[in-house]
Amino acid sequence: MGTPKAALEWHGSTLLRRTVGILARATGGPVVVVRAAGQDLPDLPPRTTVVTDPREGKGPVQGIAAGLAALAGQAEAAFVSSTDMPLLHPAFVRRVLRVVDEDGVDVCLPIARGYPQPLAAAYRTSLAPIAERLVKEDRLRPAFLFAECVVQRLDDAALKADPVLAALDPELDSVLNVNEPADYQAARARPAPEVTVQLFGALVSAGQPKGPRAVSAATVQAAADAVGLAFDRHVTAALNGDQITRDGMTPLAAGDTVFFLSADAGG
Amino acid sequence: MPPGGYFGQALVVDVTAGTAQTLPLPEEVLRAYIGGAGLGVWLLHRLGPPCVDPLGPQAPLAFVFSPLVGTPLTTSAKFAVVARSPLTGMLTDALASSQFAIAGKLTGHDAIVVRGRAPRPSVLLVDGDGARLIDAAHLSGLPAADADRQLRAELGRHWRVAAIGPAGERGVRYATISHDGRHAGRGGLGAVMGAKNLKAIAVRAAAKVATADREGVLAAARDLRERSFGPATAKYRELGTLANLLAFNAISTLPTRNFQAATFEGADRLAAEPAEPTETTEPGGPVEAVAGMRRVARSGCASCTIGCEHIYRVGRVGGGDSGGKTVRVEYENVFALGPMCGVSDPEAVLAASARCDDLGIDTISAGGTIAWAMECAQRGLIDAPWLRFGDSAALLRALDEIGGRSTPLGSLLAEGSRAASGTIGGASKSFALHVKGLEMPGYEPRTLHSMALGLAVNARGADHNRSGAYEADLSGDLDRLDGGDAHVAAAIETEDRAAVMDSLILCKFLRGVFTDPFSEWAALLSAVTGWDVCAAELSATARRIVMAKRVYNIREGWQPSDDWLPERLLTEPLTLPSGRVATLTAARLRTMIDSYYAMHGLDADGHPASATVDDLRLAEPSADADLRLAEPSVGTDLRLAEPSAGADLRLAEPSAGADLRLAEPSAGADPA
Repeated sequence: MGTPKAALEWHGSTLLRRTVGILARATGGPVVVVRAAGQDLPDLPPRTTVVTDPREGKGPVQGIAAGLAALAGQAEAAFVSSTDMPLLHPAFVRRVLRVVDEDGVDVCLPIARGYPQPLAAAYRTSLAPIAERLVKEDRLRPAFLFAECVVQRLDDAALKADPVLAALDPELDSVLNVNEPADYQAARARPAPEVTVQLFGALVSAGQPKGPRAVSAATVQAAADAVGLAFDRHVTAALNGDQITRDGMTPLAAGDTVFFLSADAGG
Repeated sequence: MPPGGYFGQALVVDVTAGTAQTLPLPEEVLRAYIGGAGLGVWLLHRLGPPCVDPLGPQAPLAFVFSPLVGTPLTTSAKFAVVARSPLTGMLTDALASSQFAIAGKLTGHDAIVVRGRAPRPSVLLVDGDGARLIDAAHLSGLPAADADRQLRAELGRHWRVAAIGPAGERGVRYATISHDGRHAGRGGLGAVMGAKNLKAIAVRAAAKVATADREGVLAAARDLRERSFGPATAKYRELGTLANLLAFNAISTLPTRNFQAATFEGADRLAAEPAEPTETTEPGGPVEAVAGMRRVARSGCASCTIGCEHIYRVGRVGGGDSGGKTVRVEYENVFALGPMCGVSDPEAVLAASARCDDLGIDTISAGGTIAWAMECAQRGLIDAPWLRFGDSAALLRALDEIGGRSTPLGSLLAEGSRAASGTIGGASKSFALHVKGLEMPGYEPRTLHSMALGLAVNARGADHNRSGAYEADLSGDLDRLDGGDAHVAAAIETEDRAAVMDSLILCKFLRGVFTDPFSEWAALLSAVTGWDVCAAELSATARRIVMAKRVYNIREGWQPSDDWLPERLLTEPLTLPSGRVATLTAARLRTMIDSYYAMHGLDADGHPASATVDDLRLAEPSADADLRLAEPSVGTDLRLAEPSAGADLRLAEPSAGADLRLAEPSAGADPA
């Protein structure tokens, strides 16, 4: 690639910044980034936890073990994602996590677009000691971990049984990863996701339409730019009527609604 | 010589005994409590007997000014009205802005405190000639605005009036005190005034007050004025607080039908923004929403450059004619009389707001209590089948029955939702949406966890102005649905800021223009007073004021269970349009409260250590026993003027100040 994947540009942000932002949005919980010793990381949102992989070159199970261990006591389940899936959608994350939360299994493993996706899967955080033991035993493939716990596999049809995911990511592009420069360029060349923007109160300027409107934007900042709004300290954004942010680099995904509000809300 | 911005004394009037005395306010006290809400709680500690009946004659009612009043600083023409609330039994302090603040302070006092009960309905006059009472029989039953108008016509235009409406006269426990169309709204201060047989207090400026650094104050005033025109206040200027309505609806923070939902399907019709034309809108025809129909003017409080008041014309409702009446519209009154009661008819909501103004009742408590009653009726707990959510006529009828205490139901609801649910009992308590007896404002705690804490622990009860923790929830700096320590710290910070702003006093609508608030406020206070105040001192002052309120409440019978939220909010989750479930459990709230107590140095039951209480300086050497008799020019005989004296009141034009003969000739003449 010429550039570490984590730092690859993505609509004014980076791949890692987007991945962290999508996970934070989808889970509402803490996000842990596992890096190699000495690895430089691009800027991350506040409250992102960074841990260092104690053993390099041990493959994905080692990274999974480090990440799950860092979440001990903070969450019962975690979505594990590689950093090279630029189209990961929050609806995909929620769909997969819900299986662990509701069905009592240890792992929800998507078999999406024909392949198992261990780095787009949900794991119970209590699996951390098992994963660490497997690494010590040099049994480094995820299949060894799956052999020691209860795994529920979801194929494309099962994934898309969730109408929200089916509507927002019908091709399951969430699991597309970028391993070669051409993959990255092709993904980057896609248009930014279509989102709906609505301004409230005094943010509505004379002459602007007051109702919702569709724009293409990969970040909150881009959504503000698209409607000619200065996204400064006097403005906040509410994503889908839920999470509120002042961070312009907060990633957007297809189907999102962005409400721009006066920061001086209340009174 | 008092510090700049102060007279160094409060006027204490006993309307039973007909005496007025001055209470010296030592500089240490003024510096420790500043003015407004801060000085008000100190005065209540000093002048209010413990556990006094709020509607009894011994209960003090304090009108408290501040060092900034009378300066050219924008939004500084404010005062606090402070008393033990007849609705909550605890401290209530309501702030309001008007010329009353300036005229009241320039009577030569940093506060005017009223005790006792006048022998008959009266008006208390205070000016440079002292204090005296005049008969108010001819004003009885009038709306406050009419009483204000009539009194000023009689007394002269330089008199400023704070009056109560019929609800205050009848002891509705959430009656207001009004002046220049503004209201000291929450906690039932109008009932306290009514219990003193006072229809109104009229004040007239008679003195000047110096500032320590006149040029510095002028420079600060120019700077603040300039900043007040910027983007931080645009919302208030362009749309008023009603701009919140659609925004809150979009983020599931608009309490609806007694907090059974957090979004309201009729929100568009009540919004400040003109509604989008729809397919059913005829080209060029009226768009049926409150903004498009009724906004007629924008105005501002005295000494304010923001101009947040958006005035609407009241139309016809149910065949009635409003007579061209206008009403100031804020988010809170529209929320409480609209979504909270399920009413989406803008005509009805404006009419109900105007009705509350005429009666002199707090719109939030009125709407909250009626919404509770509507749910009771829905569940068959009270026999009032006409009282249905969404029924405009029922809303207006309920307001009239409350204001007049004209029916058993009206009298029940006039006591507020806590007392009423105590009477009805059963499940009705679980959906009585109040904290400490004060009905909830228009902020949904399940989707605003910092605010949930702020509402639970606030001294005044469910109050959005002394906490303001919603700012943190809506800032994007933390997850508003996942309350934890960060939310507690944020709630404390906003509470501290409010304590200082409410004591200086500056309007909270100005808060967005300050980038380093405590330092900037310290500079303002230093320029006015001559004190060398720093941000750290103001932070300590904020904590002192917050703690003094808590200590006052403890003295009045506060229990740990009073720092809590209504059961509905802790047991009924909300599902957001995003699919996320907003849950505020009792365990989460308990954890946040425990953390709040710990951060404040309180014990597990919310009590401060004795050393903390000692630091509050509530025992400075100026006890009641030290109340000095008034100076010779201040009347000590408050005997009522004869009713016929009203004709003479017209002599009291400003230039005739020296010849005032408002009371009987002997009144005010004997300085002894």
